Amino acid sequence: MTIAISKLPKISRRSFVVGTAAAGTGLALGMKLPPFGPGVVRAQDGSPEVTHWVVIRPDDTVVIRIARTEMGQGTLTGLAQMVAEELECDWSKVTTEYVTPGESVKRKRAWGDFSTGGSRGIRESHQYVRQGGATARTMLIQAAAEAWKVPPSECSAANSVITHNPSGRKVTYGKVAEAAARITPPKDVALKDPKDWKVIGKNVKRLDTVDKLTGKQVYGFDLKMPGMLNAAIMECPVFGGKVKSFDSAKVASRKGVKKVVQVGDTAVAVIADTWWQAKTALDALPIMWDEGPNAKVSSASFAEVMKAGLDAEQAFVGNDAGDAKAALAGAVRKVEAVYAYPLQNHACMEPMNATARYTADKCEVWVPTQNGEAAFAATLAASGLPADKCEVYKIHCGGGFGRRGAFHDYVTQAVRIAKEMPGVPVKLLYSREEDMRQGRFHPVTQAKMVGGFDANNNLVGLHMRISGQSILTAVRPEALVKGMDPATFQGLARGGEFEFGYKGIPNLLIDHAMRNPHVPPGFWRGVNINQNAIYAECFMDELAHSVKQDPLEFRRKLMANNPKHLAVLNAVAEKAGWGKPAAKGVFRGLAQMKAFNSFVAACAEVSVSSDNKVKIHRIVAATDSGYAVNPAQIERQIAGSFVYGLSALFDQECTVKNGRIEQENFNTYNSMRIAQMPKVECIVMPSGGFWGGIGEPTICVAAPAVLNAIFAATGKRLRTVPLKNLGFTMV
Amino acid sequence: MKRSSRRAFLAKASASVMVAAALPAVVRAQMVRTPLNNMPEVIRKLTGTNTIHKGRVKLDVPPLVENGHLVPLNVSVESAMTESDYVKAIHVFTERNPLPEMVTFRLGPRAGRARVATRVRMADTQNVIAIAEMSDGSFWSDSVFMIVTLAACLEELPA
Repeated sequence: MTIAISKLPKISRRSFVVGTAAAGTGLALGMKLPPFGPGVVRAQDGSPEVTHWVVIRPDDTVVIRIARTEMGQGTLTGLAQMVAEELECDWSKVTTEYVTPGESVKRKRAWGDFSTGGSRGIRESHQYVRQGGATARTMLIQAAAEAWKVPPSECSAANSVITHNPSGRKVTYGKVAEAAARITPPKDVALKDPKDWKVIGKNVKRLDTVDKLTGKQVYGFDLKMPGMLNAAIMECPVFGGKVKSFDSAKVASRKGVKKVVQVGDTAVAVIADTWWQAKTALDALPIMWDEGPNAKVSSASFAEVMKAGLDAEQAFVGNDAGDAKAALAGAVRKVEAVYAYPLQNHACMEPMNATARYTADKCEVWVPTQNGEAAFAATLAASGLPADKCEVYKIHCGGGFGRRGAFHDYVTQAVRIAKEMPGVPVKLLYSREEDMRQGRFHPVTQAKMVGGFDANNNLVGLHMRISGQSILTAVRPEALVKGMDPATFQGLARGGEFEFGYKGIPNLLIDHAMRNPHVPPGFWRGVNINQNAIYAECFMDELAHSVKQDPLEFRRKLMANNPKHLAVLNAVAEKAGWGKPAAKGVFRGLAQMKAFNSFVAACAEVSVSSDNKVKIHRIVAATDSGYAVNPAQIERQIAGSFVYGLSALFDQECTVKNGRIEQENFNTYNSMRIAQMPKVECIVMPSGGFWGGIGEPTICVAAPAVLNAIFAATGKRLRTVPLKNLGFTMV
Repeated sequence: MKRSSRRAFLAKASASVMVAAALPAVVRAQMVRTPLNNMPEVIRKLTGTNTIHKGRVKLDVPPLVENGHLVPLNVSVESAMTESDYVKAIHVFTERNPLPEMVTFRLGPRAGRARVATRVRMADTQNVIAIAEMSDGSFWSDSVFMIVTLAACLEELPA
């Protein structure tokens, strides 16, 4: 879809557009700030901004502002539900728009954090977006009351209509929005009691579905602008390597090629009329790399490094109780196992891309990003321009999973490339191969677990040693705690939102021998709970079987003081029929975890053929996220996360050879197909009083539940991911 | 100085120094993560009962950065830099780094100009304050509220 240039944002000091232009709606929404002093802030169509979260048009349309990013997870709809709940507006008249990070900076971060990761889109912004709605409602009622010369306490609002209760007079929001916008916003407006919620907790339809079904939704991948050029890029495939030289003359005369440019120290890009011209020219371009010190590293060589860490003397202690080493030394019987989890790529359906236009006094970027502010920061740094001369327009992501959150390498590159073509919009689009090579990978780890029993088969001690990659050391060293990466212990922590669920283990030691390869790590949906859930929950199963106890009963004994962990586990056991006979040839497995402040559990049912073909019949999954804003959307998120998690379990591994990633496309990095998808039965069981995440937590219990069910079916413990390497395939 | 008096100090200092004080409480609450350090105490130790004037100092840092571990920081001070009137020191403080003292530059008239540049590490979104200590004993300052856009999938870390 081509967007007319006149519809593209025209930015001046006094107005800005809120990104809908890039989303292709052709709507010129925006805000005009008064030059001096307070006054009504207006959208570009002249509609008043009642609060910074809410614009109301004369036709009663309610425009709800969104700072977080929609990437399929439903945050856009959920956030709008929360504003609408307090605003008491007519849901059928709600629409949304993204705010821009540049405007946020100007307005002292009025919309808070833009970061959409860590399953926090809803749980971290619920308070202030509801307040934004409640404040606007209060102002609208006050405006109507003033017009009627009655006390606001005699008026009520529902469905975008304000009623003066004694007289029955009514007025719609659109009629009083202008006057409401002139009222000084009240402070500390009370929020509804959750028991009075009408929109929150309701399965309203997603607001973005129609545009996606009709093709109206434009992704960054599809974005076209008049006069736009296209760029393809290749970065040194060996991490840590640099560009040595390249011979532009070899491709300069090819059709459509405009320029061959070096991007930073590490990459080369070709700019051409079309992307295919750019891509094929780049393929034909002779590039010499200085591959640096990592050119000989392989997956096998790094596996040896991690293996040594399993028994290393020094390790960072993430969680402990009692004296695990002494307890294990005195144990009557011990069980030991080593597990491994590989590097994996996010493999977003839409490869990384960004479109940038640079002039000496303006730099604009259109980009699918999980964090508009971080994209903006990358734009400032790469352009060298001050904040008031830059802007970023967010576009819905065609997948994010963490790749588009913490790293904006592709934005930096796009701006550097656009600087070579001042005034011309240039779209940088990664090829699938580049996207696969230049990931920010799921960390690679191994784990060794040792459990000890006394003479009565009571678990007296557990040592869990993780060896391998730390994300924070590479990404945010300032977040390390005396050298330790606390995020390594997600799902295994002493307390908090990643609390380990087995307080009943008297002697516990969970530690980390940090061993970092040269491959850059990143936050991959679920982050460290993916491997930690497999390590902890499969080994818990091993322990139970070693003393011939039922895995559920064995866990229950250790979870007496973790009632919420136990509640989700009990819920899946009951719904799946644990303890009752399954269909012939079908076997069950369990797993539970607390992550991103939600309690999650799963029970998988599988059958395994004699040639190791695994059919997953059903997964029953329970999630207690405290509150459930849109339960139907939560169910879809959970089922969707299992597509991601089960693909990872069976098929996905990035291996390193000669310092570079070997898998460059889906032929070697497979995803599951629809026929392989099990039936997913969700139990959404919000217990109230806290806010937990949804996008990531439940993903981690699918894999260990399936692995434990495979053991129940076959008696084989599969301890290395992906299962394809062990000869097991999903059917 | 005890915790309770920190607020009082902030209230006093904010009028001249602190940008974030102008933000509504709710906005501040949603962006704070790491706890405040004892920056006000440390500044008080430096300046004693002297007033910290706003002005003469220009603190130049990006208003937001993608990652806090390498942030360019520049400070310049209006000063003749003569034997009788010069900048003795430029101190930079932060309120949410583990330690509030980020850096101190000692200068003298022979420095020629009162301008310094370095790179620093920022733990979080926070106020950064530069204070110039003049040869006449006066203190001048500038402050910037700086956003560190945090990495995805991370917030309250399990510690």
